[in-house]
Amino acid sequence: MKQKITIDPVTRVEGHGKVTVHLDEEGHVSDARFHIVEFRGFERFIQGHPYWEVPGLVQRLCGICPVSHHLAAAKAVDQLHGLDPGDLSPTANKLRRLLHYGQIFQSHALHFFYLASPDLLFGADAPAAQRNVVAVARANKDLAKRGILMRQFGQEIIKAIAGKRIHGIAAVPGGNYKTFTAQERDRFLGAADLPSIDQMVEWTLGVVDFIKQYHESNREWLDTFAAYPSGHLGLVGENGALELYDGLLRAIGPAGERTLDDVSPYGYDDYFGEDVVDWSYLKFPYLRHLGKDTGWNRVGPLARINICDHISTPLAESARQAFFEFAGQKPVQRTMYYHWARLIEMLHCAELVRDLLHDPEILSDDLVREGRRRPEGIGVVEAPRGTLIHHYRADERGQVTWCNLIVSTTHNNEAMNRAVREVARETLDSQPEITEPMLNHIETAIRAYDPCLSCATHAIGHMPLRVTLFDHRGQVIQERLKDELHT
Amino acid sequence: MSYTLDCLNQPGVLLLAIGNDGRQDDGLGWAFAREAEQMPFPGEIHYRYQLQVEDAALIAGATAVLFVDASRERLASGFSLKPCHPESSFSFTTHSVAPSAVLAVSRELYGACPPAFLLGIKGAEWELQRGLSSTARKYLDKALQWYRGQVLKLNDA
Repeated sequence: MKQKITIDPVTRVEGHGKVTVHLDEEGHVSDARFHIVEFRGFERFIQGHPYWEVPGLVQRLCGICPVSHHLAAAKAVDQLHGLDPGDLSPTANKLRRLLHYGQIFQSHALHFFYLASPDLLFGADAPAAQRNVVAVARANKDLAKRGILMRQFGQEIIKAIAGKRIHGIAAVPGGNYKTFTAQERDRFLGAADLPSIDQMVEWTLGVVDFIKQYHESNREWLDTFAAYPSGHLGLVGENGALELYDGLLRAIGPAGERTLDDVSPYGYDDYFGEDVVDWSYLKFPYLRHLGKDTGWNRVGPLARINICDHISTPLAESARQAFFEFAGQKPVQRTMYYHWARLIEMLHCAELVRDLLHDPEILSDDLVREGRRRPEGIGVVEAPRGTLIHHYRADERGQVTWCNLIVSTTHNNEAMNRAVREVARETLDSQPEITEPMLNHIETAIRAYDPCLSCATHAIGHMPLRVTLFDHRGQVIQERLKDELHT
Repeated sequence: MSYTLDCLNQPGVLLLAIGNDGRQDDGLGWAFAREAEQMPFPGEIHYRYQLQVEDAALIAGATAVLFVDASRERLASGFSLKPCHPESSFSFTTHSVAPSAVLAVSRELYGACPPAFLLGIKGAEWELQRGLSSTARKYLDKALQWYRGQVLKLNDA
């Protein structure tokens, strides 16, 4: 009988995520699995609601990336309203893009400064007391303060366009709800209470330089930790450019060969199947023509940098070229390079925000267009964590009758499982007991993908890391809560 | 260090309501804040899905902080008020930050750690649905009555 180790972040609400590591009788890791909850409840919840309410309702899915869900839903709802992305006014499209880039900028800033930096600054072997944002604040006050200001900048962009940070209304069927005023714009060009967009670009360049130097100093670890071959998936824009809001689906295989060749995202269900397993709520998407064993892909920053041919903004393009020159491979298959790719995207978003803030068209009041209602709509965006698909059908009264969501973390399901398996074999195999650094290594691998474990209700409480070791008779022989290790 | 409740009725106090009113009783914190907006609350009220590190900057400028959130704990009176102290506790790879951790970040980065309390109100239902359960509504009313009388010192409580 196999032994099983469970790493279970228990919340007072069922689900979220946990890791189970399965050992054989000799104590070798035979398998490792990452479990996470998904949004099936929402797909039922939305049925019966008028389609024009959907962009507002989906924001309640997630406290971390409500804007991504809002925009993916809005693009789908535009089609129910009879409009394709090109039918919207230039102002509406540009304001949505500004919102989207502000969201990705702040989300990537949050991940780098407060989730990844403890791993990078202190290492996976550091004690728990040192592997958190308070320790980062203590060790590097300027870095931590800068991180807060960069995140605030993105949050303020969201607030300015949507009216408020939470549950604001930005997109409506066929366009945008409110104008963006010159006064609102000018605040981001330089104001007493907020660093300017030029400052954001400069600071982001600084962190891109930091991560490059970090890779130079820690190459062996970063090149080998949780590295494995995979496919990569995302949107591309005109001429194969990195695209985050609206484009064509492209996938490449482990050797860089095209496995999905710039196809319309509206046919996503022709290309993707979803495998179901008995141990996870989360499905496993794969490209149908390749099958579930080889057709799975990574998504998110590393995948997007791997699949694109170039980046449209000069500083990010220069950073992209340096990235591949350093890596010496394309596609890059090393999990820890997600951090570097994320910062390149952050730089790209800062440049795009700067360009849009200087575009007078964002101040126009040409916000909403009308179309002839359709029965079906599909919206696809690149969320911070990867490709996000919203698909709705509505009846003649406009009530939603069916909904399907494929969220970024679902696309990365197989990839995160592979990463956990790689690290478990490296660190847990034939060890007499589970140590904290071993668990940190697994966390570090998962964290590189920036999975969103916070999309459900949360309420007061801890999310401790529960580690349970079972013997071959199914008896618990070791259990630890990582929460006990906190200072 | 201990503080009295008087600090929560002074100018500059910050009420941070945490929750998601699309998840039934997870909206208890926001429901409390909406009611507080109708009272002579002496400070600022902010709504959050989850606390984030940048809330440390907001906290640093406050004279005192009241975090309000739904609770799944067994609470005999339906709600509880606990002092909140800075602590470097963080959850497994999640994006949310605990009240005690935000206080710790505020202290480290801005040298400010105002007195803080965590008000937990017991919820019962957590599905994807708008509106509080009748049980949660009852506990919310109890918490609000206590708040009006013991914190804001309103005569009608």
